[in-house]
Amino acid sequence: MNDTQTKGQLASARSSDVMIEIADMNKWYDQFHVLKNINLTVHTGERLVICGPSGSGKSTLIRCINALEEHQEGDIIVDGIRLGKNLKNLDHIRTEVGMVFQNFNLFPHLTILENLTMGPIWVRKKSKADAIETAMMYLERVKIPEQADKYPGQLSGGQQQRVAIARSLCMRPKIMLFDEPTSALDPEMIKEVLDVMVDLADTGMTMIVVTHEMGFAKTIADEAIFMAEGDIVERNNPVAFFDHPEHERTRQFLSQIL
Amino acid sequence: MAIINANQTPARAAPISETSILGWLHKNLFSSAFNALLTFFMLYIIYQTVSGVLTWGLFNATFVAENRRECFDNSLTGACWAGVIDWFDNIFYGRYPREEIWRIDFGGLLLALWMAPMWIPRVKGKILVGVSVVTFYPFLAGYLFSGGDKGIFMQVMVAGAIVAFAINMANVVTGLTKNMALNAFLVQMLGQSKSSGKTRRNILLLLATVAFVVAFVWQMGWNVEGVSWTKWGGLFLTMVISGIGIASALPGGILLALGRRSKLPIIRVLSTGFIEVFRSVPLITVLFMATTMFPLFMPEGVVLNKPVQVIIAVVLFNACYMAETVRAGLQAIPKGQAEGAHTIGLGYWGAMGLIIMPQALKHMIPNIVGSFIGLLKDTTLVSIIGLFDLLGMLTSISKDVPWLGLHKEPLIFGAILFFILCFAMSKYSRHLEVKLSSDHKG
Ligand SMILES: Nc1ncnc2c1ncn2[C@@H]1O[C@H](COP(=O)(O)OP(=O)(O)OP(=O)(O)O)[C@@H](O)[C@H]1O
Ligand SMILES: [Mg+2]
Repeated sequence: MNDTQTKGQLASARSSDVMIEIADMNKWYDQFHVLKNINLTVHTGERLVICGPSGSGKSTLIRCINALEEHQEGDIIVDGIRLGKNLKNLDHIRTEVGMVFQNFNLFPHLTILENLTMGPIWVRKKSKADAIETAMMYLERVKIPEQADKYPGQLSGGQQQRVAIARSLCMRPKIMLFDEPTSALDPEMIKEVLDVMVDLADTGMTMIVVTHEMGFAKTIADEAIFMAEGDIVERNNPVAFFDHPEHERTRQFLSQIL
Repeated sequence: MAIINANQTPARAAPISETSILGWLHKNLFSSAFNALLTFFMLYIIYQTVSGVLTWGLFNATFVAENRRECFDNSLTGACWAGVIDWFDNIFYGRYPREEIWRIDFGGLLLALWMAPMWIPRVKGKILVGVSVVTFYPFLAGYLFSGGDKGIFMQVMVAGAIVAFAINMANVVTGLTKNMALNAFLVQMLGQSKSSGKTRRNILLLLATVAFVVAFVWQMGWNVEGVSWTKWGGLFLTMVISGIGIASALPGGILLALGRRSKLPIIRVLSTGFIEVFRSVPLITVLFMATTMFPLFMPEGVVLNKPVQVIIAVVLFNACYMAETVRAGLQAIPKGQAEGAHTIGLGYWGAMGLIIMPQALKHMIPNIVGSFIGLLKDTTLVSIIGLFDLLGMLTSISKDVPWLGLHKEPLIFGAILFFILCFAMSKYSRHLEVKLSSDHKG
């Protein structure tokens, strides 16, 4: 099952520093083997897209990377730090890895600005003025500075997702993880979120994106991987991946979503 | 499809049944013959009740009399409020020495002043106000109410309370006049706005220490006469027990609820056991246990007086109920909130304190206040174990020789008092709920 791995040794165009290294990683939910012997390397500045059918373990994989889920076997090394039981490491990793969820997970009891400044003030110990300045800068970047004083419930889905992206960026992470960031959105809002993500990719951020947006994947991704039943089945550059999938399962899956 | 209506339909005024009083009456009270009959019948009952109550309680009532005999001489069909009025001091203050009652009033006034800033919009640092009340006021009030010698610990806490109170009041003044917090104001006044956070903190610490020393020296000269707890009673005692119960049940409940959800098995099992034991026993049993069992557990020489035993029992009992309320509130918060908090680097306590608990508490306000109301009413049980709380005092009126057999009036008076207290709490919780929910959805 790892024969595709060799094909994936396309080193990143930008840099060859390893940012994320996953080696022989296995994860179980009780008796259920969700992730099977995963090997994956992501270099600094590299953009990786993950596709696969529902339940194949895509979310679980990227949630392992910022330790929202524990893995039982193998190693995950993020930015030179091995994830394990050490809680200090955990807290450190989470400040370096931003994550954007399918359903935003904004804090409904706080204004947009408070959502954005919470991490910098309480975790990074920034002064309030600094935190607000950074927050406003990122709100400009995601093109909704005028919403700063509203509450999440007053924003559209697309706006909320852009706030969620800005909230992660305010922590100035080295890696951004996206778990189907557009699949809870109406079609007309998908583009505004993808635009923000394309901008982000242009800044050279290391990104892992679970998505089935093929056009987007082809524009930004350096690589695409296909997961099924806890395995990484295929790994290739995105154009080849989407246009000429090699594995039968990939072909089947892509024909369904197109 | 053909165009059905090219012009916009103009808006019309609502039909008369929706706007006029007559329309409302017709729609709600007299919409059919049967409804009309029912309306008249209910009006008749209401009239009978109200007029009966007013005649007995007001028109035919006696307000000034020496004893029950005189009440009867004055009117046989009216209430004898004179007995209640004669006992007012007892009802409100118990058997507290009459010339010392000012201490209770003063304590109440201090509390009101201390808490008031929480409702003044422009004052900064409301959470600190709340925390300072809960940590310091009990000691100041405790000394004020019981008096006598104060040990070194008590002296420190009283001095701390004075400083906290003074800071709080000064903070209100700067908040109202300059619209800034006291610390910001002090820093600015001393011309230190440009200094680093560390110097500023040190300067503020120095100021606080000086204030503490001054307060400590000042309070050493204080000397109020000791009042034994056996003299405490009436509404005062009810307020002390339920006040401490209310102030500590929520923090205690939060800790127990977190314990019950903890990943560490020992903490989880202990919390769960504790909660379940207290929840499956009636309060009165806990009260009896507290007064008979605590003395056995206490080290030699330590004697807890009855109000303290009762307060411990009430606090533990209510914390366990509160724990379940809090747990339900926590369960209603989606898991994504904790995950969102973790992804911006907040740890367990950060996520809990800044993200999850504030949202959960907001949902729980009606239940929390419901528990508080229950707690206030449950404190009447302490009269069974021999404390003369409000209810205890009210029932002793009928045993006082001049007012022998006067049951009804004191109990009705007590009911009115409890109603006022509970209704106020309930209204306030409603207000909070509306305020908090309008904050977020706009
Ligand atoms: N907390 C959990 N406990 C037990 N099983 C779980 C848990 N979370 C996920 N699973 C199971 O693990 C498998 C992988 O889940 P995962 O959410 O990673 O899939 P996915 O590829 O992200 O799917 P989708 O496209 O639907 O989001 C699924 O079969 C799911 O039922
Ligand atoms: Mg998923």
